[in-house]
Amino acid sequence: MNTATDTLSASAGHAASGEAAHIHLPGPSFWPILLALGMGLVTTGFFFWATGASANWWFGLGAIFCIVPAMGWATTIAAERRHMDPAQTSTDLRRGFLLFLVSESCIFGSFFAHNIYLRFFAPAWPPPGAPVLATQLPAIGTLVLVLSSFTVNIAHHAIKSGKITRAKNWLILTIVMGIVFLGIQAYDWGFLLQFDKFTISKGVFGSGYYLMTGFHGMHVLVGLLMLGLVYWRLERGDYNNPTYSFSTDAAAYYWHFVDIVWIFLFFTIYLLKF
Amino acid sequence: MSTEVLAAPAPKTYSGLLDWLTTTDHKKIGLLYLGFAFINIWLGGALAGLIRLNLFNPGWHIIAPNVYNQLITMHATLMIFMAVMPAFAGMGNYLIPLMIGARDMAFPKLNAFSFWIMIPAALMMYVSFFVPGGASRGGWWQYPPLSTFQFMGGHGEDLWILAVILLGISSVTGAINILVTIFDMRAPGMKLMRMPLFVWSWLVTATMLIVALPVLSGTMIMLLADRLFGTGFYRPALGGDPLLYEHLFWFFGHPEVYIMILPGFGMMSHIVPSFAGKKVFGYKGMVYALCAIGLLGYTVWAHHMFTSGITPAAQIYFSICSMLIAIPTGVKIYSWLASMWGGAIRFTTPMLFCLGMIALFTFGGLTGVMLAIVPFDIVVHNTYFVVGHFHYVLVGGSVMALLGGMHFWYPKISGRMLSEKLGHWTFWLIFIGINWVFLPMHWLGIEGMVRRIATYRPQFAFWNQFISLGFFFMLFGGLLFTWNVIVSWKKGQPAQADAWQVNDTQQAFEWMTSSPPPVHNFDEIPAMPAEEHA
Ligand SMILES: [Cu+2]
Repeated sequence: MNTATDTLSASAGHAASGEAAHIHLPGPSFWPILLALGMGLVTTGFFFWATGASANWWFGLGAIFCIVPAMGWATTIAAERRHMDPAQTSTDLRRGFLLFLVSESCIFGSFFAHNIYLRFFAPAWPPPGAPVLATQLPAIGTLVLVLSSFTVNIAHHAIKSGKITRAKNWLILTIVMGIVFLGIQAYDWGFLLQFDKFTISKGVFGSGYYLMTGFHGMHVLVGLLMLGLVYWRLERGDYNNPTYSFSTDAAAYYWHFVDIVWIFLFFTIYLLKF
Repeated sequence: MSTEVLAAPAPKTYSGLLDWLTTTDHKKIGLLYLGFAFINIWLGGALAGLIRLNLFNPGWHIIAPNVYNQLITMHATLMIFMAVMPAFAGMGNYLIPLMIGARDMAFPKLNAFSFWIMIPAALMMYVSFFVPGGASRGGWWQYPPLSTFQFMGGHGEDLWILAVILLGISSVTGAINILVTIFDMRAPGMKLMRMPLFVWSWLVTATMLIVALPVLSGTMIMLLADRLFGTGFYRPALGGDPLLYEHLFWFFGHPEVYIMILPGFGMMSHIVPSFAGKKVFGYKGMVYALCAIGLLGYTVWAHHMFTSGITPAAQIYFSICSMLIAIPTGVKIYSWLASMWGGAIRFTTPMLFCLGMIALFTFGGLTGVMLAIVPFDIVVHNTYFVVGHFHYVLVGGSVMALLGGMHFWYPKISGRMLSEKLGHWTFWLIFIGINWVFLPMHWLGIEGMVRRIATYRPQFAFWNQFISLGFFFMLFGGLLFTWNVIVSWKKGQPAQADAWQVNDTQQAFEWMTSSPPPVHNFDEIPAMPAEEHA
């Protein structure tokens, strides 16, 4: 048997751990079906909005049905985990989250594949009419985002070793850097839209540029929300067992992920010249 | 376990409808998946009935061509995304924790979410028939430029795209759950190389889902943007490329066909040896073959594009890789045959479905090898030969395996046996129906009958009428199965824990617990039998 298999089976033991005194089974929950309803409402709202109908009610209701169940769900899990083996549940959650990031990479992957395919097979690249993207400012943004991966790492380790003040400081710094990055991106977008009159429908170059940077920007925003949530929980002091805290792991992993995707993105969109 | 862990309060419970809406029990969620698949296979079958009605006579024109295109698109969509995939997901949900000796999935609430998110998607699909312009008419691959707004107005297509993205979320979250469950929740001693083959098949399938479905979502996001926001991803006028869409789509689309067959392979590897009274032949080879199919499945996508304008070098590459897949697939088929060799075979209903599956799937696989040959494919591309081929694989393969699996594990799920007599009738009706309907399509295709057209040239009328009559075999087979499932639920013979008396040889965990299993699956997690060193 190879090593990978052995490490995997080493963790298999916990299935039996329920036998000891009692069998723990998760109780019923309204949150999953309500969240599904919320996502259905938001999707329908998006449909109406994108096809030119009014969608405010759908979005409003959808937002409520997404946010409340998501929060309820997270609270329930936190409560449930107090009755479960914290090491095992955090392993489960971390593996699940990493797999989620794999699937996210594959969405980005389809956009990258689109871009790179055209570089090889389009009659001309960049296509005629596409503006020359300035690289100085985005390069600074890249630097800021890459550095923020290090700062979040320091904060992450500080939480794990219980140094809460240190963690909060580095977390704040990370969040500020993330906001600076987003600011630079917004400036870049504004500049292109206003002075170059370069929009998403001005040809495939613009379509790809706005889709990829926009989709990435959305992820930065979600990452910032996650970091903010971690900060809020630190402030409330509700990490009773920071070693096994999943939400800090998730926020940190997500932030690294966003950073790595950006490095590829910067290289592909701004630097690659064929 | 550390001492900080507090004793859990007994979870509160609901009854009746609320119980089903809030359940996090993998068995109930599995049943919800199966019920959803059941409804949609009937709806998709009804669409097939309308298609066959229209094709009964080339001059009838009962259904407007525009509506016909909606029918074929939605027939495929319902069968693929809302019948076969959820049916396998349901079987996986129900069986994987039982097979690995776990009490539930790793993330029970996420599991419920994966199911419920399909409901808004399904509603959007159904509603799309009634929006102005009707449902999507691009075929399930939705090639641009046909699927661009210019050539397909109305917003049924947009609903289709959004619904498929939601279904993708369902599949990916479900797959993550299954993978973590398999990695983290196996009973002590169940090493990866001792896992039941159905669990292995889902390990590979879930891995494929996590990679393939997001690519579909990304591809569809770009298509939606082209339609609604004026982008040019696939529009040549703006520098985009429709051929690129085909690459992206089939990068998902080919793995998708393995996603729809591998769990079926997994079920076969339980049922066939069970009724031959033997252990499965070549366990390791079966595992490696599954992995090989999963990997090779990502290297062959452009065999769907031989006539789309790819270079000869690419044609040769994709042709050879496609044929290579016949090797691991052959390993599986020969292993099933070897599993029966010298055994005392019991011809129960599940076994009949498996034997039928081996025959039909092998046939469909061989026509698949024919289609991988570029010059042959160029001749029959987009003809009924292709339709015949993939229905042999999907109905003769996936659906037959599913029916085998459902007959096999029904006693475990319901605690009652299905009627063997009705089961035999179901099998023969479906088996004859499949051949009756899909075999003539092969020569119709070779003679030049083109698919996805509401009518055809008069010389094809005889065989089309023949095929349309065959629809009734499938219909009665389906009705009989439905009747059997519903009536036996309350009135069937009570089933033992080891309902089919197979566990002397199989030692499968799911047959060690009662039928149906208690809510916590096992009073005591079974011990892994000692490893045999051959
Ligand atoms: Cu294929």
